[in-house]
Amino acid sequence: MKEVNFDQLQEKIYTETLDNGLKVVILPKRGFSKTFVTFTTKYGSIDRTFKPHGKDEFITVPDGIAHFLEHKMFEKEDGDVFQKFSLNGASANAYTTFGRTAYLFSATNKLKENTKVLLDFVQQPYFTKQTVDKEKGIIAQEITMYDDQPDWRLYFGTIENLYENHPVKIDIAGTVESIQDITAEHLYTCYETFYHPSNMLLFIVGAVNPEEMMAFVKEDQAQKSFDKPEAIERQFPSESKEVDVPERTLTMDVSKPKLNIGMKCTETNLQGQEMLETELSANLVLDSLFGRTSAFYEKANAEGLVDESFSYEFSMEEGYGFAMVGSDTDEPERLEKLIRHTIKDAKTNWPVQDEDLDRMRRKKIGQFMRSLNSIEFIANQYTRYEFNEMNLFDVVPTLENLSMDKLKQAFATFSDDDSYTIFKVMPPKAQ
Amino acid sequence: MFNKTKLQDGVHLYIRKTEQFKTVNVTIKWKAPLDQKKASERTVLANVMEDSTKQYPTLSSMRKALDELYGTVLFTDVSKRSSQHMVSLYTECVNDEFFAGEDIFKQLWQLIRSVVFDPNVTNNAFDPDVTEREKRNVRDRIRSIYDDKTRFAQKRMLEIMRPDHPASISAYGTEAAVSEITNESLYATYEDMINNDLIDIYVVGDVDEKEIIEQIKQFLPFAARDAAKQNELPDVKVSDSVNTVREKQDMKQGKLHLGFHTPVSFHHPDYHKMQITNGVFGGFAHSKLFMNVREKESMAYYANSAFASHYGIVYVTAGIDADLEEKAVKLILEQLTALQNGESTEVELSQTIALLENSILSANDSARSQIEIYDQYKELDENFTAERLIEKWESVTLNDIKDMANTIQLQIVYLLSGKEDVSK
Repeated sequence: MKEVNFDQLQEKIYTETLDNGLKVVILPKRGFSKTFVTFTTKYGSIDRTFKPHGKDEFITVPDGIAHFLEHKMFEKEDGDVFQKFSLNGASANAYTTFGRTAYLFSATNKLKENTKVLLDFVQQPYFTKQTVDKEKGIIAQEITMYDDQPDWRLYFGTIENLYENHPVKIDIAGTVESIQDITAEHLYTCYETFYHPSNMLLFIVGAVNPEEMMAFVKEDQAQKSFDKPEAIERQFPSESKEVDVPERTLTMDVSKPKLNIGMKCTETNLQGQEMLETELSANLVLDSLFGRTSAFYEKANAEGLVDESFSYEFSMEEGYGFAMVGSDTDEPERLEKLIRHTIKDAKTNWPVQDEDLDRMRRKKIGQFMRSLNSIEFIANQYTRYEFNEMNLFDVVPTLENLSMDKLKQAFATFSDDDSYTIFKVMPPKAQ
Repeated sequence: MFNKTKLQDGVHLYIRKTEQFKTVNVTIKWKAPLDQKKASERTVLANVMEDSTKQYPTLSSMRKALDELYGTVLFTDVSKRSSQHMVSLYTECVNDEFFAGEDIFKQLWQLIRSVVFDPNVTNNAFDPDVTEREKRNVRDRIRSIYDDKTRFAQKRMLEIMRPDHPASISAYGTEAAVSEITNESLYATYEDMINNDLIDIYVVGDVDEKEIIEQIKQFLPFAARDAAKQNELPDVKVSDSVNTVREKQDMKQGKLHLGFHTPVSFHHPDYHKMQITNGVFGGFAHSKLFMNVREKESMAYYANSAFASHYGIVYVTAGIDADLEEKAVKLILEQLTALQNGESTEVELSQTIALLENSILSANDSARSQIEIYDQYKELDENFTAERLIEKWESVTLNDIKDMANTIQLQIVYLLSGKEDVSK
């Protein structure tokens, strides 16, 4: 077991990669009552074309399968896993993103028993035709629920505009039609390919004794048998730098139009420190262009072009990335012009001064320190960083060393004219 | 949990010293009787106070000052509890120990002082542009509930079930009342809030208690006020018949909301028993609603119950195919009937106790949750601790669940669904 100290942050992590390839990370938190445990596989909705474990040919599986698999992990021959967690006082859940599937619980009691339930249920698949068919009704209602959420449609509609081929454009849960094709055999194929311990990470944070816990996990894993780790081969279609659709409008029963601008990131093969620097820089650029201290926001706010729903973000993973800026607005055309103008203007007339950079750096460092109060943040983000070969605890030193040039480079990755798309959700009458 | 200090009549300070967090939280809560007009004024006021102050007269200068202070958080929010309306100022800054020589915490007090006692006011009126802008923002926030069909359905159900009652009054007020606000009325609301509201101040973090008391006396010199005033909830008329309401919008899923009355509310001696009963009914993933409506019948992704304890309301929400309304209602009511007939098990009871325990103990791990939970429970017991409540939960029996379930009475079945069948 390796110990790493982060003196500046007053945190210490314990890590070990077990014989079966599973990476275990433990972070004890002073004064905490609960422990939060995540067991995550580097497998999400975009992993739809791959070589199944032990096979030589690529296959493509139905859309929504990673999420479907997540649901089905909870049902076993002897019943529903939630029942066991509840008896042990643990609140359990799971989620699927584009690139990850995470199973998790939080508990103030019976940490070992609950960790055992977590490891066992994720490592012992049980799928039958009957249980798979039964789930289709539940997931169809989940998909329908999201279909009625305009902000969800706006966000995913924008991504769909940005990408022509990359599977990030496909809804994580699939569609009511695509999930009908999913079979128990599909689930086993995906499970065997992506749920090998060497593709997974166990993160334990909160009220935990690291030595005891590491020994407990090691013993549990030593008792189970796994195939030898195999490299996973995924296949992704090629994707051009231009957006697929420059503009699209959806009509929904909303009180006010919704506008979202998407900007496709042209730098999509970064990992590690380079990725961390680019991601942090892009966030600082967006803060200075669109944050509440920006000239843009002052104008948009004064003129009533944005309201409390205004937001912006930068998102980057291996293979895709984008910036987004959006708001509910009575004047989508004017707001769109102002956003586009702000981006264009920054290319010739760089708006960030040294004092701005210093101020934003202080803000981000403070924000990061604050987020370390949340053990959920630590577990989820650490795992995401690790899967991208970054370390969460490098954020502060990296922020301290970011240069203006780096900010300019990061801005250049998403500010091409061709990388720009507009998505609107409009109320019926305004059409 | 918290150490209480009386600063003035009606003004109290609660400090929790802990080394658990990397930040210090300071929260101020102003509490006044709830009505629609007042709620509207106070919601706009909360926005205007967050926007700027005399010292930082623009949003941009205000936000820059906070950014310089290592991203110090400062925002306002409004909420309601029983017949009270609350305006809360939430602030949080990074512990001084991480940044030697910066004195962040002291600067935070100065900022709070500036927001509370030195707002952006000239000649007894707020900046008219800011007021108009924030009126618009609050109006749009009220309107946007329409976009979230689950929230909209819940709002409609409560309006029909408890018209003109605090249970259905929004903490944000109404569009009409917001539009009538003037600069002068807003300033009068400010004066009233600062001088007449009950005030609770919370501090959580690695702090020196004596120093805090001195700082508050220096920076936040609130005057004494009448601490006795409390208004009672109006009586509700319990109906023996069930009101069935169906409304339509352009949407796909059917949003089914069932409202039930119970005489057991927050101040009732059986309150903790009703918490357990709700948990067995539909509070968790082991509960009867989840196991039967979702897992057994595959009819829904979510099917939950909740206990709005301050208003004596239990409600069930489920997202279903609207064509299956009748079947879903029948299935939901069967789960309640099972509880009323004493058909809950020791396993369900112990699962529910274990998860309620987990959630109240987990609240210790967030300064905000500590504050919110204590602020509520101190009304029942000044010496409230999670352990005391857990003891009460552990004494609940299967028979108690049966008794509690028998006080629950269906009042309304509300369904919001698509105009035509757009889902197929």
